Amino acid sequence: MIGVPVLKIENLRTYFYSSSKQAFSRAVDGVNLALEKGETLGIVGESGSGKSVTALSVMGLVTAEPGVITGNIGLKTDGVQKNLLQDIEDYVKITNENGRTVEVSKDNPGWQRHIDRVLRGVRGKEISMIFQNPKLSMNPFSSVGKQIKEAIMLNTSINNAQEARERTLYWLEQVKIDSPRLRYDNNPYGLSGGMCQRAMIAMALSSEPSVLIADEPTTGLDATIQSKIVSLLEELKSSVGVTTLLISHDIDVIKTLSDRVSVMYGGRVLESGPSKEILSAAHNDKHPYTAALLASIPTARQIKAKSYLQAIKGDVLDTINLPSGCLFYARCHQVTEQIKMQCKHQEPELREISSNHNVRCWRFFNA
Amino acid sequence: MTDTILEVQNLKKHYNQNGGLFSAFKGKENVIPAVDDVSFYIKEKETMGLVGETGCGKTTIGRTLLKLIPATSGKIIFNGTDITHLSAAQFRPFRKKIQMIFQDLDAALNPKMRIKAILQEALTVHCRLSDAEIDHRISELLEMVNLKKSKLSNFPNELSGGEKRRVGIARTLAVGARFIVADEPTSALDVSIQAQVVNLLRDLQKELRLSYLFISHDLRVVELVSHKVAVMYLGQIVEMGLAGRIANAPRHPYTAVLWSSLVDKKSDESIKNEGNPNEGQWGVFDFERPNVGCRFAPRCPVYHAKNRPTICTDPATSPQLQKIDDAHQVRCHFPL
Repeated sequence: MIGVPVLKIENLRTYFYSSSKQAFSRAVDGVNLALEKGETLGIVGESGSGKSVTALSVMGLVTAEPGVITGNIGLKTDGVQKNLLQDIEDYVKITNENGRTVEVSKDNPGWQRHIDRVLRGVRGKEISMIFQNPKLSMNPFSSVGKQIKEAIMLNTSINNAQEARERTLYWLEQVKIDSPRLRYDNNPYGLSGGMCQRAMIAMALSSEPSVLIADEPTTGLDATIQSKIVSLLEELKSSVGVTTLLISHDIDVIKTLSDRVSVMYGGRVLESGPSKEILSAAHNDKHPYTAALLASIPTARQIKAKSYLQAIKGDVLDTINLPSGCLFYARCHQVTEQIKMQCKHQEPELREISSNHNVRCWRFFNA
Repeated sequence: MTDTILEVQNLKKHYNQNGGLFSAFKGKENVIPAVDDVSFYIKEKETMGLVGETGCGKTTIGRTLLKLIPATSGKIIFNGTDITHLSAAQFRPFRKKIQMIFQDLDAALNPKMRIKAILQEALTVHCRLSDAEIDHRISELLEMVNLKKSKLSNFPNELSGGEKRRVGIARTLAVGARFIVADEPTSALDVSIQAQVVNLLRDLQKELRLSYLFISHDLRVVELVSHKVAVMYLGQIVEMGLAGRIANAPRHPYTAVLWSSLVDKKSDESIKNEGNPNEGQWGVFDFERPNVGCRFAPRCPVYHAKNRPTICTDPATSPQLQKIDDAHQVRCHFPL
């Protein structure tokens, strides 16, 4: 599948200002991602690595200041190319000092109005999103069916209420909710967590979007229900063929569902490539962070031996005081004497080490 | 060395659901058996895992053990003393020994208190200590749970998930707990942080001779940390035994379904049609389904494979928890 990607994120930066620390928290700091038609791109990383903020930035849902400050988000649908962050420069003034951003002034209300204008017809229609907590994301006072119907009437060409209702039932059936006619009138609190998630997926798909963003669709669900949601998403992937950006910290879920994977850490992409290559323990050429993440999942052998888990030392990166060198340096255990100075003081670039497999690590450039 | 620290006998916790203002006229009271006839014991330095789907009563058991909610009937024996009917004042000395790590630490840690104050409160509420002693004890605790001293002046919302979890653990250790109910200690944590917390809990167990009731729905973690595992379904324990046995040679159909639903196992074995024909039947109590016979029967693959034998649904022959092996009990007429 070679062609212009459906969604292309270039150099996205989303900062937040912490008034108590008087500094910027660099939640997303120069992320590049490309999503091709029909594929599923997984984003993995610990909490605080900027996965969700990336998704929210795409949807224009970051309201905190200063929010999105630079970047390019290209969306290509039906031959029309659109930049979702069009004219962002007009609203943002960035002051740099020694290559680091020290001050950002942004006309936030103006930017909000502008982005709402740009995203009209995109949000919910071209790109729709499955949120982390289905129960909180739905209106508790309105029935599930009504909410999906509303989405259909807003975002598709159907504007006949009866037709929209039929369409809603069709989608409820697609996501395998049993007796959709009964569930249509249920309010979200009347559904179990798994069913609510299904309804949420139905709502997201009902507008037949070009891109679906699934933000942690399975966290907070039981193992039995989790596996059902995963197999549902797997089925929908082949039957509906929607392009998906899947965000999760559950590596098993990403492994099952995605074609390509990007590993995020501290607001940057540390590694990207085919998911089979990156997430299989057998493949050795990978970023130390990815390797450490994989190692911390309890394996069958560890469980049997009751041995200790290989935890990654230290805590998730503090995005306020970013280190000057490699972001993962402080927690990395694959630093050799040879590359130590480089790791500490100079940040590596994302470079290709084999076809379509990019890694941001000095280990691979010195050989 | 291996003394029983906690024993639970026929514990029941039934919630009454009143139908609102005019419920008295309805005549019928709905009772939800959240915990129904549960018995188990935990020895010193032992971890018992408790697994099951949402709404099966795992957390209710944990809360009843701490007497945060009163038990309907049954006995809870801690260290030889029956604590079921103790008054709040009589129970106070036991509070120090039995502690809980709460699931939602955003809710469990006071957002307006600094971490130091949170830990200090836990210490001073049970014993009088001088300031110097408190400082000493707090620094000891921090060392135990690997938390940086600089975090003491922070508020809970400034900490990451793993750090909050550690404050929660430190707080239970502050009073010198012997038995800890860990309610989903690793849910909502990343795998890397989860590994740290799991390792920490196991280290502490070795050092301080702690016993845990480890409530979780993450089966792999439970299997890793627990010595024995109890599987719950709709308020009842359906299978109990050594962790390795439960995971690798389950005898109850529900346990088998549960373990086969692990995402990675499934993709390995590529079982598309798992033994769960009734998708709509969730593991939550339902008034419309009569509470007779085997509670798992409507979802049970064995029940359907055997052409729905009446023994499974007949109230007179509802299955009992039976010993089928040394330290392995199953509640099923047709164990696998």
